Amino acid sequence: MLKGLGNVVVKELKELLRDPKILIGMIVVPLVMFPIMGFVIRGAMESTEERLQRLQVGFVDFDHGIAAKNLTDFLDSFPTMTLVNISASSIEEAVEILPTKNATDLLVIPAGFTENVSQGNPAKYPVNVEVYSVFSGAGGITETVTSSAVIEYLEAFKRWLSPDLFQTVSKSIIKGEPADVSPSVLFGIMYSQVFALPITISILLVFSMQIAATSVASEKEEKTLETLLSLPISRFTILFGKLAGSIIVAAAGAVAIMIGFNYYMGSFMVMGDLGVSVDLAAIGMAPTLLGYLVLGASVFVALLSALALAIIISAFSEDVRGAQSIVGYLYVIIMLPMFVIMFADFNSLPLVARVVLLAIPYTHPMLAAQASVTGDYLTAVLGIGYVALFTVALLYVAAKLFATEKILTAKLKFRGLRFRKK
Amino acid sequence: MIGGCGYNVSFAVEAGGLVKVFGSIRALDGLSFRIKPGEIFGLIGPNGAGKTTALRVVATLILPTSGSAKVYGHDVVEEASEIRELIAYLPEEAGAYKNLSGDEYLRFMAKFRSESSEVLEETVRSAEEISGLGGRLRDKVKTYSKGMKRRLLVARALMAKPKLAVLDEPTSGLDVLHSVHVREIIKRYVKEYGVTVLLSSHNMLEVEYLCERVALIDHGKIVAEGTPEELKSKNKVTNLEEAFAKVVGLA
Repeated sequence: MLKGLGNVVVKELKELLRDPKILIGMIVVPLVMFPIMGFVIRGAMESTEERLQRLQVGFVDFDHGIAAKNLTDFLDSFPTMTLVNISASSIEEAVEILPTKNATDLLVIPAGFTENVSQGNPAKYPVNVEVYSVFSGAGGITETVTSSAVIEYLEAFKRWLSPDLFQTVSKSIIKGEPADVSPSVLFGIMYSQVFALPITISILLVFSMQIAATSVASEKEEKTLETLLSLPISRFTILFGKLAGSIIVAAAGAVAIMIGFNYYMGSFMVMGDLGVSVDLAAIGMAPTLLGYLVLGASVFVALLSALALAIIISAFSEDVRGAQSIVGYLYVIIMLPMFVIMFADFNSLPLVARVVLLAIPYTHPMLAAQASVTGDYLTAVLGIGYVALFTVALLYVAAKLFATEKILTAKLKFRGLRFRKK
Repeated sequence: MIGGCGYNVSFAVEAGGLVKVFGSIRALDGLSFRIKPGEIFGLIGPNGAGKTTALRVVATLILPTSGSAKVYGHDVVEEASEIRELIAYLPEEAGAYKNLSGDEYLRFMAKFRSESSEVLEETVRSAEEISGLGGRLRDKVKTYSKGMKRRLLVARALMAKPKLAVLDEPTSGLDVLHSVHVREIIKRYVKEYGVTVLLSSHNMLEVEYLCERVALIDHGKIVAEGTPEELKSKNKVTNLEEAFAKVVGLA
C-alpha cells in the first residue's frame, strides 16, 4: 500500500533541505535564537539570585520591646540579609523613606508585639508582622522573589520562637504607596498581563508584517507589479498607497489591542488579604488614559516600522511564499523581546542585553505596555521617538527601492548555502 | 520635428546602442531600432534573446546600462513619467487583481488616464468591446480562464488608445478565434486612433500578419530588420518562420 514511500520521503527531504529559506528558518534561526534567549534569561536569573544573596530589608519598629529586638537580631544574623532601621511615625512615612535606604521590602513590627507575644495566646492576642514589598508590575516572573524570601526568614523565626505565635502578613508597595494586597496575589493578576500583552503585540506585529509582505509579493506573484509600475502614477504614490492601506490595518490593530486590553484589565477584581474587594485601577495597577495613549502610540509606530520593513524585505522575494519565508526571519526580533519581557525583569538584565534589546524597535511597544501600568512614561516616550526615527529611515529606503528597477529585479541570494553535487 | 509634448516627431521609438547588463549577463548588447508613429513593429527572436528586456526599457521599467532610448522624443532615463503618460505596457505573463471583478479592474486602470467621468465610461466601454467578455466582466478575475484573463489585459492595454502600445506576446494563451479577434483590434486601433505598436511574439504568423516592419534579435542585438516580405526574399524562404530560423542559425 505504501510502496514507493521511501522514494517520496527522500525526494521531500531533498526538496526541503535544499531550500535555503527553509533551512535557515527551521534550523539556523532556532540554533541562534534559543542560545540568545538563554543568555538573556540566565543574566536575569543571575541578577535575581544576586538580589536574594544581598537582601536589603527596611524595618520599622513600633513596638520597641524585647521580642522585636529578638526578631531583628535573628534576621540580621543571616549573612544574606541586611536589615536597615527606619525611623518613622507611620507606615506611609516608612514606605516613603524605604527607597532612600536602597531596600525593596519593609518589615513592620506593630506596637504591642512584645506584649502580645509574651501572652502566648495568639487566639486572644493576635500579632501580625507585616511585610510590604515593592511591586513594580514590570518584573516578570521574578516580581515576588524578595517578598517570598523575607516571609521565609520570618517563618524561620516563628519556628525558632514558637509556631503560630504570630502571623506574617504580606502586603505591597505600589508606586510608593502601601496597599493591602499581597505581591503574590497581585502577581497572579499581573502574570496574565505579563504574558498576554507581549503575546498580543507580537501576534499583531507578525500578522501585519505578513499582510504588508504579501501585498508586494502578490503583485510580483500575480504579475501585476510590472503593469502597475508602467502606469502614469509616481512610484511614491504606489508605495504610499500600499503603506496607507497597511497603516489603516495597523491603526485598526492598535485600536483593537487598546480596546481589548482595557476590557481585559477591567475584568480583574481581586480579593485583598483583608477580604476587601480590590480592583487594579483602585490600587494604581491599571493603565491611565495617558498610559493607553502612550501604549497606543508605541504600538502604532512599531507597527508602521514593521510594515515598512516587511515591504522592503518582500521586494527581494519573487512570490508570496518567498516573502513570507524571508519575513519569517524577522520574527526573531519580535519573539526575543517578547520572551525576555515575559520572563525577566528588564532592568535587572546585563547592560549588553539591555542595549541589544533597546536597539530592537519591537522591544519598545512591550516596554510601553509595562510603562502603561508602572507609569514610567519617559522610557516609553523615548522609545516612541527611537522607533519613529527608525521608521523614517525605513520609509526612505523603501522609497528609494520603489523609485528604481530594484523593486522588480532585486532577489535575495543564498548561494553559499546551496548544497553542491559531489 | 517637434520633441517633448508635441509628439510630432519622426520616430515614436528611437533606440540607439542599448546595453543592459544583469550581473554577468549581457541581455542587450548595443540594440538599435526605430519605429515610426502609427507603425506596428515586431521584435522577434529566440528565448533569452533580449526581447522582453528591450520592451521593459522602452516601458521605463528598467534602465539601460548604456545607450539611449526615446519615446516620442522623451528619454527613458530622464523623462520616464512623461513616457508613462503615453504608453500602455502589456507584459507577457501579466496578471490582474484576482479579487476584483473584470469591470472593477478596468475602471481602476482607466482612472489613471481619464480626466472626466465621461472619458472613464467611454474608456471602459472600449475595453468591454475589445475584451468581448460581456457579462463575465462582473465576475471576479479569479474565476477567469487564462484566455479570458489575457483578453481583459489586452483590453486594459488598448482601451485608453495610448500613443504607444508595448505588447509582449499579446495573444499568448488565446485560442485561434480570440487571437484573430485581438489581432483585428490591434490593426483597427492603429488605423483609427494612430496607436503605435511595439510587439514581441513567437507566433510568426501573427508577426507576418500584423507587423509592417520586423527586427530579428539575437544575443541582445538586431541581426536582421525589414518588412516581412524583405526578410523572406533576402533569405530566399517562403515564410517568416524559415527566415527566422535561417538568420538565428537553427536551420
